[in-house]
Amino acid sequence: MLEARLSQTLLLKKIVDALKEIIAQGTLDCSENGLELQSMDNSHVSLVALSLASDCFEKFHCDRNVSLGLDLKSLGKVLKCANSDDAVTIKAVDRPEKITLSFESDGKERTADYELKLLNLDQDHMEIPKKDYTCFIQLPSSEFARICRDMSMFDESLTIACSSKGIRFLAKGDLGTANIQLSAGTAMDVSIEVQEPVTQSFAGRYLNTFTKATPLADRVKLYLSDERPLLVEYPIEDYGHIRYYLAPKVNDPDF
Amino acid sequence: MDGKRKFNGTSNGHAKKPRNPDDDEEMGFEAELAAFENSEDMDQTLLMGDGPENQTTSERWSRPPPPELDPSKHNLEFQQLDVENYLGQPLPGMPGAQIGPVPVVRMFGVTMEGNSVCCHVHGFCPYFYIEAPSQFEEHHCEKLQKALDQKVIADIRNNKDNVQEAVLMVELVEKLNIHGYNGDKKQRYIKISVTLPRFVAAASRLLKKEVIMSEIDFQDCRAFENNIDFDIRFMVDTDVVGCNWIELPMGHWRIRNSHSKPLPESRCQIEVDVAFDRFISHEPEGEWSKVAPFRILSFDIECAGRKGIFPEAKIDPVIQIANMVIRQGEREPFIRNVFTLNECAPIIGSQVLCHDKETQMLDKWSAFVREVDPDILTGYNINNFDFPYLLNRAAHLKVRNFEYLGRIKNIRSVIKEQMLQSKQMGRRENQYVNFEGRVPFDLLFVLLRDYKLRSYTLNAVSYHFLQEQKEDVHHSIITDLQNGDEQTRRRLAMYCLKDAYLPLRLLEKLMAIVNYMEMARVTGVPLESLLTRGQQIKVLSQLLRKAKTKGFIMPSYTSQGSDEQYEGATVIEPKRGYYADPISTLDFASLYPSIMMAHNLCYTTLVLGGTREKLRQQENLQDDQVERTPANNYFVKSEVRRGLLPEILESLLAARKRAKNDLKVETDPFKRKVLDGRQLALKISANSVYGFTGAQVGKLPCLEISGSVTAYGRTMIEMTKNEVESHYTQANGYENNAVVIYGDTDSVMVNFGVKTLERSMELGREAAELVSSKFVHPIKLEFEKVYYPYLLINKKRYAGLYFTRPDTYDKMDCKGIETVRRDNSPLVANLMNSCLQKLLIERDPDGAVAYVKQVIADLLCNRIDISHLVITKELAKTDYAAKQAHVELAAKMKKRDPGTAPKLGDRVPYVICAAAKNTPAYQKAEDPLYVLENSVPIDATYYLEQQLSKPLLRIFEPILGDNAESILLKGEHTRTRTVVTSKVGGLAGFMTKKTSCLGCKSLMPKGYEQACLCPHCEPRMSELYQKEVGAKRELEETFSRLWTECQRCQESLHEEVICSNRDCPIFYMRQKVRMDLDNQEKRVLRFGLAEW
Repeated sequence: MLEARLSQTLLLKKIVDALKEIIAQGTLDCSENGLELQSMDNSHVSLVALSLASDCFEKFHCDRNVSLGLDLKSLGKVLKCANSDDAVTIKAVDRPEKITLSFESDGKERTADYELKLLNLDQDHMEIPKKDYTCFIQLPSSEFARICRDMSMFDESLTIACSSKGIRFLAKGDLGTANIQLSAGTAMDVSIEVQEPVTQSFAGRYLNTFTKATPLADRVKLYLSDERPLLVEYPIEDYGHIRYYLAPKVNDPDF
Repeated sequence: MDGKRKFNGTSNGHAKKPRNPDDDEEMGFEAELAAFENSEDMDQTLLMGDGPENQTTSERWSRPPPPELDPSKHNLEFQQLDVENYLGQPLPGMPGAQIGPVPVVRMFGVTMEGNSVCCHVHGFCPYFYIEAPSQFEEHHCEKLQKALDQKVIADIRNNKDNVQEAVLMVELVEKLNIHGYNGDKKQRYIKISVTLPRFVAAASRLLKKEVIMSEIDFQDCRAFENNIDFDIRFMVDTDVVGCNWIELPMGHWRIRNSHSKPLPESRCQIEVDVAFDRFISHEPEGEWSKVAPFRILSFDIECAGRKGIFPEAKIDPVIQIANMVIRQGEREPFIRNVFTLNECAPIIGSQVLCHDKETQMLDKWSAFVREVDPDILTGYNINNFDFPYLLNRAAHLKVRNFEYLGRIKNIRSVIKEQMLQSKQMGRRENQYVNFEGRVPFDLLFVLLRDYKLRSYTLNAVSYHFLQEQKEDVHHSIITDLQNGDEQTRRRLAMYCLKDAYLPLRLLEKLMAIVNYMEMARVTGVPLESLLTRGQQIKVLSQLLRKAKTKGFIMPSYTSQGSDEQYEGATVIEPKRGYYADPISTLDFASLYPSIMMAHNLCYTTLVLGGTREKLRQQENLQDDQVERTPANNYFVKSEVRRGLLPEILESLLAARKRAKNDLKVETDPFKRKVLDGRQLALKISANSVYGFTGAQVGKLPCLEISGSVTAYGRTMIEMTKNEVESHYTQANGYENNAVVIYGDTDSVMVNFGVKTLERSMELGREAAELVSSKFVHPIKLEFEKVYYPYLLINKKRYAGLYFTRPDTYDKMDCKGIETVRRDNSPLVANLMNSCLQKLLIERDPDGAVAYVKQVIADLLCNRIDISHLVITKELAKTDYAAKQAHVELAAKMKKRDPGTAPKLGDRVPYVICAAAKNTPAYQKAEDPLYVLENSVPIDATYYLEQQLSKPLLRIFEPILGDNAESILLKGEHTRTRTVVTSKVGGLAGFMTKKTSCLGCKSLMPKGYEQACLCPHCEPRMSELYQKEVGAKRELEETFSRLWTECQRCQESLHEEVICSNRDCPIFYMRQKVRMDLDNQEKRVLRFGLAEW
């Protein structure tokens, strides 16, 4: 039996918006510690991982682990029916075929229950082991979104170069080149920790979909290391995060 | 002779393989080979001398010795197979030009006794016509001849043949222009005969461009028949048709032998000379429709390639050549052998000729071909692979005399590039190798021309026609087999022999040679041109023959590539829906040909625009002698002049009728297919006459004819509709008002509103007769079939159960539905087929819906066998304007492994894989094998939405109504999905799998990571363990069944399966089960060893 109550639907909406661009469906793993979801996108180039601790919820109860196969598009539709400041309760039985979403308006004057059919997803649970990264950058999430958007006008691929001096974003295309440099400072609120300089290229298309999570957090954390996938982390207050992993481009014509 | 002696040594110990006649089991190829009539003399290869000239080394290989022939006492009869020409020296006593060089026609053939014949035909000169200017008189002829002769000789750039005479003769003749009716009065034309074929073009060009005679201007004179190939010209004028019998009457021919002059030039047993007007060409009828026992050599080569690279002749050696030679009409090949490099263990039923050196093997093979002296060379893709490879390889290794494979001693076989452009086939780039006197008859070409298949690999083809899967050894393994021992080389030899044998079996099964010979005889073109050229030449040859007998000549036409269009066929707007009542179908029999016959449409009957008034005055042509077509053209009626095209059509359709009558009485199912093929070929030939008049880049397009034909067709369909709907009404006492629900080109579908099949057939027959009586003979509306029930989806899309008798249905007939199209996956075709079967035959819509749901659920759960998802598309060219999936994939595969990558002309198989949102479809294609090996996720949504949904909705909407979509595509059955984890892709290397509970799939809680079940499922451990073990056992069994199946197919039960036949569904299944089994084994292992 799972029961989880959030005081505001807005958070759930933001989370679903951040996920549904990159994956169509996913398995939400619920345990007493909270909710987790990870899935690779269709093309198996990037991986998204959501983690929400039980503290995040007003009320959280999960007496055994359950996995819920969610069709995110449908979930998004249900959430559209709710106001952002409604409280939401997610309920599921032990061997669920559907979940119930109950929305309550502020004064409990209006309650709405939606049942959503679940998918039965036969999927491997994947994870990327946490290792130390040699570069760690924090910057305003809106700035990151803007850089990704601007760069994608120039080329499909975007190069990130990190050194102790700062971080550079490069794109080279038919139009010409784009080159954005950020250095650590308080005005822009950028912090950079570099042990070893790293230069890697990524598919801009995926970075752009990652920035759909921008409303979730003011600041975004980027982790880079040689021979490791890029990690883009959007913290969800103090309770969890959405992490995106993206493999760097190799000079393989396949990708 | 080392190789032969070795063979003698090893083969002595052969015991005939015991064969149990009661054994019902199907014979494997090895057994089949062993069971061939065991030739007693196979082991005693007679060595009768050697050297490149005297080729007879084995009685078995050589042809029977020729009889003693005396030209003054004997007639010589032979069936010619190939007609060609060359430049030679004139022979004293023969007609034609007496100063060399002159064109000589060479006919190659075989006598009834099996002796090969080369016949030089002398004295035939190329010629053409031009319109005679009005002031041109008989006495100008000589002057023109001299003047033109000088001009043409001066025009020759470097006269290396030392031509002294170009224009032989100029005559004034009276002929009729084939194009347009102008009365029966002949016009004057100048016939210009030249010495060499190439002077035809030169002379007509000079006449157009330059001043030849100062007093007469020829520049505006239209040229006639100056664009006809010399060989065709010869055949038309001497009444030779493809593959007919030639008789040289005694006293009119000369024989060549070692002391004659000139000396023999060919490798044929009998070589003779004859004048072009002294031989008899028999029409292929009665006695002369027989077929000589010509020799067909089928062969296949194996090359030891390097890993991942397609063999290149400059580097990779040829290691085996398998040969099978059969005499036409016999059932078994009488020569079966394989030439191998290095020792090879003996094979019962086949000679094994081992060689130490590749050069030696190639040299011996070339000698073998010359000795066997085949008339027809066949194999699979020999024109584009085997021949070029052998020739290039031999040239690279400098094997002397290898390239002399043809029948003329001093002509080498060389590779040429050839382009063929035709409407039927599209553009093809081919390599062509010349073998004077031997016809290369590549089975692949036959199949490409005559059959629409999903795949054209030999495996797929043999499965399709012979229902036999064939082991396919990937060429990267071939090298390993070659480098093994004599047993592995024997295995390779078996494989190679099978590849040489299959083309022969297929040719026999499809009766390709007999059918092509028939076609050559009907249309009058040489056998070889049927495979190398398009449809036009066939019509042209028939037209020229007909025109010649009536004194017509054909103007030459230079195509202007005009965009003039004429209106095509008509379609009556379909009244869509599902008809549970019988629907009668009325068809026009051979619509276009019969229109041309009925209305006497021909070049010769066309009244050209503006000449009508003139004809009325000069020829006294009355208005009732002219017919105006619905396209506003005028043609004279047949009582004024019978057209040539209608006559050609009549003979073609008469031949078709004969074939159809034979078909009715034939009971053997395969011969039925062949007869069906023949009547279809005749139908195509008849229809191509219409196409010939409409081809704007053709030899003589005539839009007046083709436009009129379609216009008649349109009015006839309309008229039929009106007749039927006005006659079959309740007012006239019929059950219901008849409604024409659909009509297309040559058929109309009528709903008479009756409930029984008997009644609908009765009415159909009646209506056909009623309407036929309103049309001109031979146009005939036929009642052929009733569809009951009938599902009319759209224009050119319908399905129905096809009844010709009231008691049982003949078949399920589907048109334009995804059951047949090749650019869809077999999944769609099979699903549609099963659905239609359930809907139409079982009349069980609920069953059909349930079936669709099951298939969709399977698709989403990745349970569909990958071979069902494969789409194939032909790689016709690489420079498509828009990016296309199969082209992109071919490029991608080329980077991975140039050896296995598809080449131009291949059909590329691919599946669509999941990819990021908005990825264009062309990037999602992937090689099925790659997908299988790396468990790349299939894009189930693509298959569901792009492939299945539209065709499914089309057939279900008439039945289920508007909510078909939600029932079929959105129901409960779509909620269970399997997501596979790819082994390739950017992140694959970084990820680890987290363990989840084997019982409820939930993530394992802390502390339980090593366990197999979560605490909640632990109590059910025993039950779940048994379930997993059971699943494993099932997979194991499936795998071993598949494995044995493949072992059986490769015919050795104790050897590893090395087949990678991509056309074989079992291959894909085997790969998939192997991987599933691996995974299942890991799952079982997670339970650990039993602890209780």
